[in-house]
Amino acid sequence: MIPAAFPRSVAIALLRFAIWIAPHDTLDWGHGMLSELNHVEGNWSALIWSLGGAGVLAKHAIVAVILPGTHRRTVSSASELFSKEIPMRKTTLAVIVSCVIASLLFFLAPVFRQAFQVSLAQWHDVFDTKQSFGYPSSDQELDALAKKAEQNQDAEALAFVAVRYPNAIQRAHFADEAVHLDPNLTWLYAVAGTAYLSPSEIDRRVSLLKQWDPQNALPHLFAAQKIGATVTYSKEFPQGKLEPSPAWEKEMDAAFQSPKLDSYVVRLKQLNQRVISRYHLNDPFQAASDENWYGFPNYGVWYCVLYAQSLLESGQALESRGDRKAAFEKYLVVARFGQFMSIDGEFTFFMRREMKEAYGRLAALSQTEGNGEAASFYTSLADQFDKSEEKERTFMRNRAGGTDVSLWNAFLVRLSGLAILLCAALVFLCALGVVIRNRSLRLASLHPSRLTLALCSGAAIGSLLSSAILFVSYWPYSEIFRRFLSKGDDAGLSELSIFLRDVQRPLGSRYSLGTWIVSSSMAVFYFWLAITIVCALALLIAVFRHFQTRPRASVPA
Amino acid sequence: MKTPRLSPQTLRVLERFVERPTAWRYGYELSRETSLKSGTLYPILMRLAKYSLLETKWVTTEDGVPPRHTYRLTPNGVELVRATFADSRASARAALKARRPAFSGGKA
Repeated sequence: MIPAAFPRSVAIALLRFAIWIAPHDTLDWGHGMLSELNHVEGNWSALIWSLGGAGVLAKHAIVAVILPGTHRRTVSSASELFSKEIPMRKTTLAVIVSCVIASLLFFLAPVFRQAFQVSLAQWHDVFDTKQSFGYPSSDQELDALAKKAEQNQDAEALAFVAVRYPNAIQRAHFADEAVHLDPNLTWLYAVAGTAYLSPSEIDRRVSLLKQWDPQNALPHLFAAQKIGATVTYSKEFPQGKLEPSPAWEKEMDAAFQSPKLDSYVVRLKQLNQRVISRYHLNDPFQAASDENWYGFPNYGVWYCVLYAQSLLESGQALESRGDRKAAFEKYLVVARFGQFMSIDGEFTFFMRREMKEAYGRLAALSQTEGNGEAASFYTSLADQFDKSEEKERTFMRNRAGGTDVSLWNAFLVRLSGLAILLCAALVFLCALGVVIRNRSLRLASLHPSRLTLALCSGAAIGSLLSSAILFVSYWPYSEIFRRFLSKGDDAGLSELSIFLRDVQRPLGSRYSLGTWIVSSSMAVFYFWLAITIVCALALLIAVFRHFQTRPRASVPA
Repeated sequence: MKTPRLSPQTLRVLERFVERPTAWRYGYELSRETSLKSGTLYPILMRLAKYSLLETKWVTTEDGVPPRHTYRLTPNGVELVRATFADSRASARAALKARRPAFSGGKA
């Protein structure tokens, strides 16, 4: 229950605040309104009185801030006295100028500058100013960084460039240079890729990787990729039948028997963090561009699945021959390697079917051997796949397509960035039009029409609102980026990566086969967007025309 | 000559002042008589004062009650507003005269 005197207390506080912000020449008026409050009948009426008075004082406060040099004038004619045009124009101009200044003030905040740059990313592909996702920097930026890194003999910075450089030959060169400076960066050979390298060069790199990290399965997967395997498709084997060479089988066997599988994603993230901080690269794309990379060679996942299937087949063959121990080993190898390949240590997306089958076989064999405890353990592991299927699907869907939150935020960032550009262009055109029409740059000589004022004020307000929306929408992602740089916290990096991928998609387009397209259904979006903009402008003009032509008492001068 | 535009709200306020040109008026009193909210009334008063057509004064009414801000038209203001209303009435009469024949059947 609100106390009866509460509205009056609020009214007094509100007017006192308005008096506090009011310019000096309106103080008497403010105190006059306040003193009248004692005579206003009814507490709610007092509040309404106060709201009106506070609004008047606030308007004067804004005008005083924007146009500090306003002086009193003496009246010369009734025409001048009753002309509403001058104060109205001044107020509108004050609104326009304050909105434009407030919008520009946003640019003082580094977060906003970063947000604005991110919002412009949607035009990179359209105007072909930058490379596609994963290589967001232009050659010039990376060249400059590489030059600095070479001057400083900074192996990590060279590695950073090697991972991102668009040209494969240059990429290989930078990788070699980085490893030469710091042999601890040999893992870079696994990350920088093997495209356009000669077979002997690939062999050299694989050999170095094997020496540097002998327990890791990854170098063997690279070697298997280089050797290659034939898969034939027939009516009998619609999914494809593997016809491997002994060399390929040897490498895959070594990979599956390896005690670990390290894709060097963690090392890469740490390197990114150090280099971005060291060279003050205020670009979130640099931090999150590797997030969708699972750390395997191009064909690594596919080969692993094929080899796992062949192991399961050979296990069944061994089982049928009665060699249950050897079969058990085969199934165990599949299950163990499948765990290595799980994403974030939780989801086994790539080898889900093979792992489930392996655990089922292990459970059946344990049961046959009379080991009930082991059988129930493997059965429970196999059952987990059914239980976690939906969760895993959602995880992969979000990873591939983005969460609703990131999609919505990316939409807001792209829309507000575009709105800022459009509003700024409109304000500029209005100002240019007024200057050209009046043929003067002196503020006192400029007399904008009401239509110009309407358009300009609408654009200025739109710019301010868009700036605020852009700032608020991007803020969480700037925090993720800041935490990553300052503390190495990569908790939200996947979210940032998905958001950045969506932000690069031009407004109204959709992803299809790894690229964005504007489909016919999206043309409908553009149509309604244009209609909405036109309607909003028409409404704005109609409102101002209404105020311009509303009936007033007319007195001849 | 260009016709000045005078808002009905300003006219209402001026009418109240012209009724008793020498009397000091309170803001709330004017607000009630003209049915204008404070957000409309005060900009009008401030504009009139800005052009020296209105003078203001603080008056103490009772003990313990804060002084009140009061307003009345200046001599210049009274003169100018009366002239404005006279012109207005004259033009209104002229307009009525011009229209009368049409209403009475078209006789010139």
